Amino acid sequence: MCAIAGILFKRDKRPELGMSTGEALTEMLNATLHRGPDSCGWALYREPKEGELRLRFFIATGEAGRKDIERIDSALTEQNAEIVDSAAVGCTYAARVKFGGDVQSFSYAVGRAAELVSVGTRLDIIKEVGKPFEVAPRYDIASYDGDHGLAHIRLATESGVHPNTSHPFWACGFADVATVHNGQLTNYWIMRRRLEKRGMAFQTENDTELIAVYLAYQMSRGATLEDALRTSLEDLDGTFSYLVATKDSIGYAKDKLAAKPMVKYENDDLIALSSEEVGLNRLYPGRALDTSEPAPLTYGLWSRS
Amino acid sequence: MVTIDLSNMSIRKANEILRGYGSTHQNVEIVNPDARHYIGVGLINPIKVKIRGSAGYYCGGLTDGPHIEIEKNVSWGVGDNMFQGTIVVGGNAGAIAGEGLRGGDIIVKGNIGSRAGQVMKKGTLCCAGNSNFMAGYMMYGGRLIILGDSGERVGEDMMGGEIYVGGEVHSLGNDAMLVDPSSQDIDSVMEFLDGCDLPFKGAFKKVVCAGKLLKFKTPEPRIRNMPFFSFSGGHADYWNPKVQEDIQVKSVIGRYRIRGYGAARHVPHYQDIVFKKDLSDLTSDPDVSSGVNLRTFIGEKHGGKPLDLSMPVMVAPMSFGALSPQMKTALGIASRLSGISENSGEGGMLSAERAEARQLIAQCLPGRLGWNVHDMKRSDGLEIYISQGAKPGLGGQLMAEKLTKEIAAVRGIPAGMDLRSPSRHPDILGGDDLIMKVQEFREAVGWRVPISIKLGAGRIRDDIKIALKDGLDFIELDGLQGGTGAAGNEVLEYVGIPTIAALQEALDGLEEIEATGRLPIVLMGGIKDGVDAAKAIALGATAVGLGTSMLISGGCIACMQCSVGNCVVGAATQTPDHVRRYETEKRALMMHRYLESFRWQLAAIVNAMGYSDIRQLSRDDLVAVTPEAAALTRLPYEPSYRDRFRTKTVQ
Repeated sequence: MCAIAGILFKRDKRPELGMSTGEALTEMLNATLHRGPDSCGWALYREPKEGELRLRFFIATGEAGRKDIERIDSALTEQNAEIVDSAAVGCTYAARVKFGGDVQSFSYAVGRAAELVSVGTRLDIIKEVGKPFEVAPRYDIASYDGDHGLAHIRLATESGVHPNTSHPFWACGFADVATVHNGQLTNYWIMRRRLEKRGMAFQTENDTELIAVYLAYQMSRGATLEDALRTSLEDLDGTFSYLVATKDSIGYAKDKLAAKPMVKYENDDLIALSSEEVGLNRLYPGRALDTSEPAPLTYGLWSRS
Repeated sequence: MVTIDLSNMSIRKANEILRGYGSTHQNVEIVNPDARHYIGVGLINPIKVKIRGSAGYYCGGLTDGPHIEIEKNVSWGVGDNMFQGTIVVGGNAGAIAGEGLRGGDIIVKGNIGSRAGQVMKKGTLCCAGNSNFMAGYMMYGGRLIILGDSGERVGEDMMGGEIYVGGEVHSLGNDAMLVDPSSQDIDSVMEFLDGCDLPFKGAFKKVVCAGKLLKFKTPEPRIRNMPFFSFSGGHADYWNPKVQEDIQVKSVIGRYRIRGYGAARHVPHYQDIVFKKDLSDLTSDPDVSSGVNLRTFIGEKHGGKPLDLSMPVMVAPMSFGALSPQMKTALGIASRLSGISENSGEGGMLSAERAEARQLIAQCLPGRLGWNVHDMKRSDGLEIYISQGAKPGLGGQLMAEKLTKEIAAVRGIPAGMDLRSPSRHPDILGGDDLIMKVQEFREAVGWRVPISIKLGAGRIRDDIKIALKDGLDFIELDGLQGGTGAAGNEVLEYVGIPTIAALQEALDGLEEIEATGRLPIVLMGGIKDGVDAAKAIALGATAVGLGTSMLISGGCIACMQCSVGNCVVGAATQTPDHVRRYETEKRALMMHRYLESFRWQLAAIVNAMGYSDIRQLSRDDLVAVTPEAAALTRLPYEPSYRDRFRTKTVQ
């Protein structure tokens, strides 16, 4: 019940666009705001720093928030992660740490201190209740200018309106994998039990988190992103148009009924995906674009390299 | 040619200006469209509109007569329900192009998305490129021309019309078949293509309905009328005569049975809830209503003109088709005399009914049967049907006996089949799509009337949140006891949830998102008198809807055979000599008198409670006398009230 957006720039210079990655995604969200005004979020990728991980946690406000931060800091220290830099912004606490161990067990461990929003060498997920133009300045979304990113606005249907039910979802336990999704999985519990049996953990009961974990799990077992997208068409049941991002790629998959819209635009500079053409057109006002709508039961992916 | 620049204008304003130019017959050019939605929706003048760029959802939807040219692409639902006119798309079209098309031509120079021409009735939808899957899904008529490849499952569940494919047919849909096109067919298609400068050299394949699923093979045997008490209520035997009859009928037809009416099984209802205050000394003042405010406005939330009800009662939606024209007209008269609203139901608006009813809601169903922009514009409210209490999740059914030529013509579909209307809207597959449909409707009627949503109670706790967020003005909530013209027997008995439970779930849903009181609820399903209505309103409904009880007051004998088409009263039939039996004016007055009994009862109860306005009733005034009703409503369980309730009821 939402709108999705994704963008990948093919080269560093983009004279025609005149927007940063964060700005471009925010504009696309705003153009499709009618599809879900409850909450919004971005999955943005930046240049990695040698030997470092970026983490973001949800924290409470006020005094309880300070306690959350203390608990997070000590959990990080306990896991031998050296805090390089940290800051509390909005309802989150972001930290850059030096860490060289196993990301999955590390994030399961520190995730007990407070709910994790994302973990990655490049990835940073920001999500919050409210409309994109209100939330973006609070987190300085415009300053994110990496190669690619995803974004989402949500109309909550079954679950409540909270930051942690907003998209994008991080693949709990796996660095740099994020998804956004429009639709609903109908075999959520079957898939979740299957993944849990293989040791995967979940932070929410949201079907989009499951897609992220599913894809990341497949890739952790040696599948390529393309393999994972392909098998997801068979393994996931329900309606979906979803986007996934990894440290250097974005991809999409669409269910067999094509019940959820998604439009694609590609030129020499970029590849962009949006729930509606009006979102893509926001990048190039006043121009008629050569767009196309991916067919049902298909997937696609693009990488920077 | 005048120019509208969309770069600095809202769509609502642009469409107002566009309609203004339409009424003075000026052609319009639209610049900077940037794939914005609803461009040209509701236009009913034959003007030329040139769109310099791409358009978004529902471009040229709900129109009659315009000639719209779009330079580049359109998103979902181009030409939705267009009555007449031409739309030419220079680029690609998204999904459900030409959905519910009623006439005119839509030409797409590029490719079209999935489910093109879904439930279309007439006119031509032509695509120069390829179509995506399920082209012509559930189409009833008209012509679909695909010069390229057709994609998977072309003609899925089509019931009429013809599909011509110039390229490859990847696979045929359910009940579709390939036939050889006649030379007239080809001439006609080629003439059309010449007319829109689309050269084509090659052979066409023609796809039509195979007709294997249009009618049930064995008709249901005639059955005898059976007294209600023999099978209904808590004391009926398990193997009661109706159960026996059900088994006997199934042993002839070998499938599920279809019947009319609602659930016969006993479920907790308003008889299990009573007013705490002893109402046995109720006034007998015939004029009690003059001192009590019952007047209810509903639907002003988004700036439309609200319905103005003299009491919080509406007539529930019942279709022209299921009911005879006389019955529909009588309902219109009765609603006017009592100062309440009538509802078109599925299948189009009957002009006589429109003329008689002072306030008429037009109901929009997934099949878009009879739906058109003119009826929308002459209505006092629009209602998007998602489901109904008697058969949540299923579409309407109209057996061949009742789908006469006249009814079929109004609906825009072929006559003589066992019509099973689609259960899902082509363009409402989720909460986000619903927002867009609501916006399209608002544009089509210039934001003039309220828009409501009819929900058969299922997961109502979630559904009502979506309805609130999607900008509906009110909801019509229908419980298990709601009636219907035709549905499977098991569905009627076991699928919905009881009316009192439905209301509580809906109220809880609103409370969960701190929206109590922000979305009026019109409650339907088994409301039989003013006392039921007062209890429903005390529990949190804004108004109630009456269907079955209106029919009974209008002469229905409750034989439960509405689906057969042989209604002896002339209420639920289209057979001319039966329809003639129905004395419209006399029956209308009976229904009016019945409605007035509601007014008196509502007023007398409000008065006896010591209030002056019906909105002063609250759940604090009620207790439950059965544990089931208490559990469903969370009212205090007070069995001690049961005795009083049994001996002294409100007259």
